[in-house]
Amino acid sequence: MHLLSHLAVCLLIFLPVCKARLPVNTSIKWVVTEGCFLKVGGSTNINKFTCEIVGNYQSDTLILYKNNNTGPLKLSGKISLDVQAFNCHNPMMSADLRKTLKANEYPQLVIRFVSLERYPRFDQPEELRGTVAIELAGTTRLLDIDYKFNPGGTGILNLTGSRQVNFSDFGLVPPRKMGGMIKTNEALFVQFNLAIKVAR
Amino acid sequence: MKKVVFPGSIAGVILFVISYGGLYLGVRLFPYLFVEYNNPLFNSDGSRDMLFYSHAFLISMALSWFWERFKTLFHGSFITRGVEFGLVYSLVALLPVMWITFSALDITVVMVAGWFVYGLVQAVIAGLVFARINP
Repeated sequence: MHLLSHLAVCLLIFLPVCKARLPVNTSIKWVVTEGCFLKVGGSTNINKFTCEIVGNYQSDTLILYKNNNTGPLKLSGKISLDVQAFNCHNPMMSADLRKTLKANEYPQLVIRFVSLERYPRFDQPEELRGTVAIELAGTTRLLDIDYKFNPGGTGILNLTGSRQVNFSDFGLVPPRKMGGMIKTNEALFVQFNLAIKVAR
Repeated sequence: MKKVVFPGSIAGVILFVISYGGLYLGVRLFPYLFVEYNNPLFNSDGSRDMLFYSHAFLISMALSWFWERFKTLFHGSFITRGVEFGLVYSLVALLPVMWITFSALDITVVMVAGWFVYGLVQAVIAGLVFARINP
């Protein structure tokens, strides 16, 4: 009886620790392939703009850690984008956005993948939520992202993440010209699309 | 001195209202003409707003001095004198400045033409004010 009580105490002490340190069962690699883009949409009091970085990124492999725990899957990996590559389809607006995003000081926009609600199904489109850390102009923000997963052909999965952010989230000031007569609005709609290939 | 500062101040107030009011309406009514101003050439952090909005008074004082110095050369009704004064200023000062600005900066013809017309209208209005209150 004495031994049993000792065992029970030991179990009570160590079980949570053991549970927290459950070995990761599997990790799945998602290789980011060609055909990716990042789009930023915004508006001023006189027009709307959409700026893109298409295919100009330093690719990486995203790793999903599947474990026995319920809850979001841990993700690791990042994509880095060259802020100088932003194209707003108007050279002056492109230059203005790069200046606003302090491209000379902080040339990279980095999206680090943190977690995913659950592992996506590969047989049909679905929407999931996840978390990313976006590093822009020297500031990093942890943000929840709405993902859309669309199975493409030949084993490619299209992952589209979108989220509204504000210039101020990253310590940036939206540009204003001519004594404030032309003003850029705070909100930006960020969307990125990754074409990923599963490599086990 | 009084003959420069008083008409200059009156013209400054009138130009302030007409210039910035006109600009405000222009941005609202013809927004496509102002898209090119989303350009890093233009100050975007608001640090020079005071300079921007004091321009009406600066040009009024300068033109008031110019009027006081050369008003005897302009003849006819106050409208003729005011318009001629505006045209002289635009030809002598504005046109060469716009010329060198366009040749040196990456700006459009529409933009530089807009600035020329803006300056011409300001000078004509100032000329009319001076011809009326300091003939």
